[in-house]
Amino acid sequence: MSAALSRFSLRAVLAAGLALGLGSCELIEFSPNDYRGPADQQDLTAKNLARLAKTPLPTDDTLRFVFSGDSQRFYDDVEDLVKSVNQQPGIQFMLVSGDIADFGLAREMRWIDDQLRQLKMPYLTVIGNHDHVANGREAYQEIFGPLNYSFTFGDTKFIMTDTNGREYNFNGQVPDMPWVNQQLADRTARRHVIVSHVPPQDEDFDPAVRDQYTAALRADPRLVFEMNGHRHDYGIGQPFNDGVTYVNSYAFEKRRYLIVTVWGDKQFRLKQVSF
Amino acid sequence: MRRALLTTWYKPHALLLALLALPLLAAAAPTDTDSVAVLNRRADRPTAPRRWYLPNHLTVQTGGGIGMLSIGTGLSLAHDRLDLDVLAGYVPRQHAGTTLSVVAAKAKYSPWKLPLAPRLALTPLSVGVYTSYTWGLRNPGKPGQYPDDYYWFSNTVRVGPVLGSGLSYVLPSTTAGHPHKLTAYYELATNDLYLISYAQNRRALSLPDIATLALGLKLTF
Repeated sequence: MSAALSRFSLRAVLAAGLALGLGSCELIEFSPNDYRGPADQQDLTAKNLARLAKTPLPTDDTLRFVFSGDSQRFYDDVEDLVKSVNQQPGIQFMLVSGDIADFGLAREMRWIDDQLRQLKMPYLTVIGNHDHVANGREAYQEIFGPLNYSFTFGDTKFIMTDTNGREYNFNGQVPDMPWVNQQLADRTARRHVIVSHVPPQDEDFDPAVRDQYTAALRADPRLVFEMNGHRHDYGIGQPFNDGVTYVNSYAFEKRRYLIVTVWGDKQFRLKQVSF
Repeated sequence: MRRALLTTWYKPHALLLALLALPLLAAAAPTDTDSVAVLNRRADRPTAPRRWYLPNHLTVQTGGGIGMLSIGTGLSLAHDRLDLDVLAGYVPRQHAGTTLSVVAAKAKYSPWKLPLAPRLALTPLSVGVYTSYTWGLRNPGKPGQYPDDYYWFSNTVRVGPVLGSGLSYVLPSTTAGHPHKLTAYYELATNDLYLISYAQNRRALSLPDIATLALGLKLTF
């Protein structure tokens, strides 16, 4: 081995090592469950809400948003979804009804954000059961934010709640009914929309909380509908025959999404878009 | 169910302790024989081949998916081209939500060694595989929590390929024994879950997206 080549190899290795080491701290990953990451991929819920607040919707204006869910391991599909949504006129924001990750890992959540941040409008998420796996709950809170939160946009209050009861081994406390009741009791907004991942008619919803949850929704005169993911396919209906409408989103892999338009007290239209 | 059995059978701390004790066993091993004879043999034949089944190095590493800090030991076989290591790692709570303990096994093959200077040598390429087991996850699944095959993957067991290089320095020896050697190495690795994600999304994901980096030091004795 010639000295020149050796010196070259040494320099190349040192340079590569330095570039990798200094380039990004999180490349030195302590565990797949390690959730350290760049600051611009932390507290995304708060950041997206701040972005949404910059384009407020005047009272009585029609609400229009994209509803999707279960991005999971469908990264190639996200690219196409973003392109399609960006071409739709008048979309105010996008909702993702949980299961951002597939294995509950922080990198997966960031891979989805890498793409969804290309949207022209902000997007908001609710936690899904796959986001709870391993230490996913902690990763979700670090990258997105609270497991239960609400925001008001125009005339509508969106109540985003964790309904992944099985991930808590059905401890009787999920969804957090005191919190949900408090949110539903708020009368400042004209209408309510509640968004969660697991629908109450699903076997992954804690059976001990099901009746309280559905009763609370039934009792809310402002509720337009309840929105879920988890089932990976579109569905709309009143499974409890109590006048409460439940809408389920397409998963990203279905290469379809919904454009939801809401006006008046509770009038709405759902448009299916293929991409 | 399998997961539940594993956590019940193996007491994590006992296993960690056992692994950490390996180098001590290795150090203690020569005292089993006549220590004078060992000394004599070393003095007569300083380059006598070590017994292949005894650990001949210690490693300390950060990253690579097996700990903020992991400490290991292992054997070198096939004329020091093949390293078989076990490592015990630790991830503090503030980086993962809970404190994690990781045990890993790693096999690494380094076909070439290039001398750069009298005491300095470069290992330009090492390829290998590792597997790890993690304790301390918040939600690894309790018995009966999920229907069978609800999640097809394991939260606790990871497997992945490793690729790296290293730079070795032969330490000035103070005794007539085997010269000690210090190696600084890096490894690029990934794991089964990242690999599946990449394989199914070649357009959206790239290899840097799924890569992890480990930096380590190895003391060969």
